[in-house]
Formats: sequence, C-alpha cells, structure tokens
Amino acid sequence: MSTVIERIRKALHIPQGGLSEDTRANVVFAKGAGWAAPAGDVPAGDLPGLIAQIRTEAGHLNLQVHECASAEQCGAELAALAEGRRPEWGTARQVMCWSDPVIQGLGLEARLAGTDISVRTVPERERFDETERAEFRRQVVDSYMGVTTADLLVADTATLLLLGGRGRGRSVSLVPSIHVAVVPVGRIVRTFRDALRRLDARGLGLPSNMTFITGPSKTADIEATLVHGAHGPREMHLFLLP
Amino acid sequence: MNSPEDYRSSAGKAAADTRLHSALAKMRDKVGRNALNLYTQVDAQADPRLKAKDVRRKVVNNLDVVLTSLAAKITGRGGHVHFAPTDLDAVEYCLGVARRHGVRRVVKGKSMLSEEIGLNAAFEAAGIETVETDLGEYIVQLKGETPSHIIAPAIHYSREQVGELFAEKLGEPYTSDPPTLTAMARKALREKMLTAEMGVSGGNTACAETGHVTIVSNEGNIRMSSTMPRVHVVLLGIEKVAATLEDHDVLLRMLTRAAAGQKISTYVSYVGGPRLEDEPDGPEEFHLVLVDNGRTRILGDPDFREVLHCIRCGCCLNVCPVYLKIGGHSYGTPYCGPIGAVFTPLTRGVNECHHLCQGETLCGACKQVCPVDNDLPRMLSLLRAKLADGDPRWNVRPQSRGTKAAFAAWAWIMSRRPALDLLLRLGRAVQRLLPKPSGWIRRLPGPLSGWTRGRDFPPLAKESFTERWARTRGRKA
Repeated sequence: MSTVIERIRKALHIPQGGLSEDTRANVVFAKGAGWAAPAGDVPAGDLPGLIAQIRTEAGHLNLQVHECASAEQCGAELAALAEGRRPEWGTARQVMCWSDPVIQGLGLEARLAGTDISVRTVPERERFDETERAEFRRQVVDSYMGVTTADLLVADTATLLLLGGRGRGRSVSLVPSIHVAVVPVGRIVRTFRDALRRLDARGLGLPSNMTFITGPSKTADIEATLVHGAHGPREMHLFLLP
Repeated sequence: MNSPEDYRSSAGKAAADTRLHSALAKMRDKVGRNALNLYTQVDAQADPRLKAKDVRRKVVNNLDVVLTSLAAKITGRGGHVHFAPTDLDAVEYCLGVARRHGVRRVVKGKSMLSEEIGLNAAFEAAGIETVETDLGEYIVQLKGETPSHIIAPAIHYSREQVGELFAEKLGEPYTSDPPTLTAMARKALREKMLTAEMGVSGGNTACAETGHVTIVSNEGNIRMSSTMPRVHVVLLGIEKVAATLEDHDVLLRMLTRAAAGQKISTYVSYVGGPRLEDEPDGPEEFHLVLVDNGRTRILGDPDFREVLHCIRCGCCLNVCPVYLKIGGHSYGTPYCGPIGAVFTPLTRGVNECHHLCQGETLCGACKQVCPVDNDLPRMLSLLRAKLADGDPRWNVRPQSRGTKAAFAAWAWIMSRRPALDLLLRLGRAVQRLLPKPSGWIRRLPGPLSGWTRGRDFPPLAKESFTERWARTRGRKA
C-alpha cells in the first residue's frame, strides 16, 4: 500500500466512515440509468441526416468530406488526391496504410502503380523487434499521407475513433502531413456519449491506446488566432463508404 | 514564488499595461463570455455544471478506491504506476526513469503539474535537453519565461513579439503572420519530437474502470510526445481522475467548452500502457506518476475539499476582473487567477501567499462560469478569515493584531448607537479639513490612509438617517 493511498484514507476518515471498500466501489463505478442499454446501429433512414451533420461540422473544422457511392469510386478519388499533393518534408512520395480490409478494398497499390508514389501497408506481426520498429518508424516519417479507417464516426462533432492494435500504427494518423480516413457509414453513431457506450460495451477488451480525432491539428496560441496544421496532420480527408 | 511586495509591484505595472489587457480580453471574449451558452449544449434542461460537480465529488470522496483501480489496470497492461507524496519525489522518479534509459532529450506536452514540481529545471540541471512542444509553451520557453495562462501560456505576447523571438532564436526571417510562425515552430519541433528518447505529458483526467489517462489537445504535440519517444511519462495530480467512461461523457464535454469554447478538442487520447507486442509503434515503457504534493492535506479538510474538484480548464481566469487586469505573471505561481488564489495558499502556505487570496475581489464571476460549479469565492473568504483569526490546523498565524483590534473596536462601536453618533460627529469635524476634489475624499489621514491608497472615500452626510428621522418623523423635510 502506497503512502499516498494511506494518506487519502486518513484524509477521508476511512474506515471510520463505515462503508467497506467494495460498497464504495459499487457506488463509484455504478452506471447511470439508460447507460447500459445497448447502443445499436443507427437506423439507415437516419443516415442522410447524420451525414449532413458531419458535413456541417467538418466545414468548421477544415475537414474535407467525400461521399462515395462505391469502393471503386473511393479508390479512384483517393488515388487522384495522392497524385495531386506534394510532400511537405523531403521529395519522395509514399503513402502508409493501415492493414485493414476496408482499405485493401480500394486497390490503391494497383491504382498508383504507374506513378512515383509508393504505397505501403502496416506490417502485421506477432511481435516487432527493435530493427523492425525502427524500419516502420522510418517508413511513417517518410510518408506524406497516412490512410486509416475508423472504428466509429461520431456525427455530432464529425469525430473519428481510432483504436490501437495489430496492423494499425498509432503514428499513421499523426506523423504524415495528410491524414485520410476511410469509413463505412454503418460505423456512424450520433454522439460522443454513444461512442463511449460502445466502448464500454466491449468490457475489458479495450486496447492500450485509443484516440478520438476531430479534424486536422490546429492551434490558437498566437493571439488566440486559429491556425490549422500545428504538429499533427495539416490536411484531413474523410471518405464515406456505403 | 512572488513575495507580496513583488505581487504588488508587478500587478501595479500590469494594471497600466493596455496591450496586456487587450490580449487577455481575447480570451475573455472568445471563451469566457461564451462558456455559459456552450454548457447549455451539453444539457439544456438540467444544469450540466451540477452534473459535472457530482461526478467530481463522487470521485474525490472515494479517491482511494478509484486510484487503486486505475493503478491495477495500468499495471496489468505492463505500465508502471508511481505514487509521489511530494514534488521532490515526483521529480526524482522522472529523473530516475530518464537516467535508466540514458535519455538526452525530453519532449514535453503542456503540463501545469510539471511547472508545479519544477521538472524542467531538474532535467536541465541533469544535462537533459527539455523541449516544450505546445506552441504557447514553446514560445514562453524560448523567451525564458513561465506560462501566464493555464490554457493559453503565451497569450500575453503579440504576434510581432513572437515574430521577433523566432527571428532571434530560430534564425527565421521576421514575420508577424500567425500561420507562418506556426509553420516555423512545426518544422523546428518536428525534428525534436521525432528524436527525443522520452516524452512527458500531463493528463486532463483518467478513467479508473478502463485504466486509461485521458489527454486532450489540439496541436497533436501530445500525441507526438506519447507515441514517438521510447518512454512516455504522464504526470497526474491524484485528484484528476474519473471513475467511468460514462463520467467522461459529461466531464470532457464540459472541459473542452470551458477551456477553449470547443465542442470537442482535435485529439482526445486514451493512453493506458506501453505498446503491445503486436503493435508496430508506441512507447516501449509507460509510467504514470500520481502526485500528491499537498493535495491529501486539502482532502482532509471538508471546507476546502471542493477545490480538488477543479479540472484545470482555466475558464475562471477568462472572467476574473483581477486576472484580466494584472495577467498571470503577477501571481508568480504556476496556477494563477482565482483557482490559483485558492490552491496555491493551501499548498504553499496561507501566510506566505496571503496576497493571492486577498488580491481577488469576491465578485463571484469565477463560480458562475466554473464547469464544476466550484465555489471559489467561498473558499477565498474562508482563507481570509483564517488570516484574520489564525488556524493552527493550517499553521496560519493571525496576519495583523492591529487590524484585528481595529475591527473589534469597530464592532463595539457599531453595536452601540451613542458611540456611533459620537464617532460620526467627530468624523464630520475632521473631514471639513480634508480636500474633496469632485466631492470625494482623496486621502484619509493617519492609519486610515491605506484605505484610500487605491480608492476614494465618500464623505459622511451632514445628517445621519436616524438624526433626520428624529427631526422630521418621515414628513418631507
């Protein structure tokens, strides 16, 4: 038992307070009414309204939304986007993609085969040794575009939720200057609260790292003036798939 | 820390600095004024501040249970958790981690707690380059200063001053264009963030049931500092925890609105341990340092426990008539404004910091905008009462026997009508001799002169209400 915990108990007059630790744990970790009810998928009929909401929010955020009718269209638009951008750092053009069926379905590698742009995918391995990690790091730092999907998309604020895990580098949505997220509309939830409920429903299965992302990085530290492109991506695109 | 004399002189200077006032007015207008409207987005029916307060109270009253769970979950994922009783212990622990890894460069996300424990100075003394990566903190660090606002550390600088600073320190061509200046910092700091062996950040809250520290940021510097270096260390005050994800719903939505007028910040990161084996990136080692440094003492006093509900959004600064005139540096402590005026005396000595709690106006604006409805004016009054009467429990000595005696005499006179009438007659006789430009007394004589150092005094009326009533019995005179 640490000194600090002892000091806390003394300050709170525990155990003189009477309630056992378990009882207090039950109180403090209790869920509110309506929280535990399963937050199911939003009805298909509500999707157009929620997508409109995402577009409105995205406008304030400098986040560009592309609604695609098919993976085919999405792949073509994404390839065109990659071709139209120059790298911010260095000269070589490289795209780093999460290893994910949604992204593999776009066929980016084939679409960009005839260009100077190389397409790489996060390696999936049981474990990474020092050299492999250093190599991956170099690859991400050398990429001008990072392509991820998102586990959930919150309509209320146009927020992506990215869970860490195998085949998903944390740095892919962070270090490249352009972040592209490809998200099937079935992953849309209404609110931040609904997103947290979905996470809660996973119980103990939460990864070591989870990130909610809302637009490209920004700062207002000089005279409270808003500037996009602080230390994270300066440009961000959201491709919505059916 | 500033002495009372330093406080008086720097506040005096700042009170005449109109450029500072217009800089601070930006935070007031963009964030402070909107806060209450934005809260209604969270819940239009019930006051969400009260809900957030409940969430905070529940946790603070069961802090041992919550912290034990948080620590167990993080340890379970392979993270290290250290409870630091004091600032020195926390610093020593961080230095130990840095030494074990042979760290030569540390990149930091914004952390007021690191200012509280003096981490940067200790790292620098140990020969470890320490780089602040939040743009505002970076500006302040290049200038060799400390932050002047909890959320906007460099708010006291104009764009021209930042331009001159970058021209001098980064060798960049002068510009006063914020996007260009931001791009310069982006370039300079990217290299630092990609090469540092250790990242240090604060935390905005934590989730005890899932075992994650929660960090909000807009710039992405905190994600960089927590992702790219081999070691990530989080400094967290023991009180800044939440129990459940459900608690995060209301807390985070209130925090980003109160701090920056945003519905949500660009990044909300949940960090709960080192990289797992099958992850290609992320830190090899993760340390959570939970810092007490005087907080358990506050916890033990039910009168002040409420101050531990604070989520450090900085909103009270943006509406405080004192802060908006004297700026953050006058306070001379990491936490400035109304929250600092309560928290600092409680952690660094009430007598030593008497000027902080006595410098505020008790106008109540800070309580009105506080996202967790913290009653700072009540606690400021209570601190002042302790200064008047003394309190062995907090080792407070009565500040002035003379003042105390004067107020006792005043109370004696006020409760005895003949004595008051005598005093009024005496006062009217004396005030005839005092100059009264524009009808107000500019300077009171003798020991009363302190009262008129900063304000005028209204002269006594020719006739008191009681005298007038006795003469007229309510008829028109």
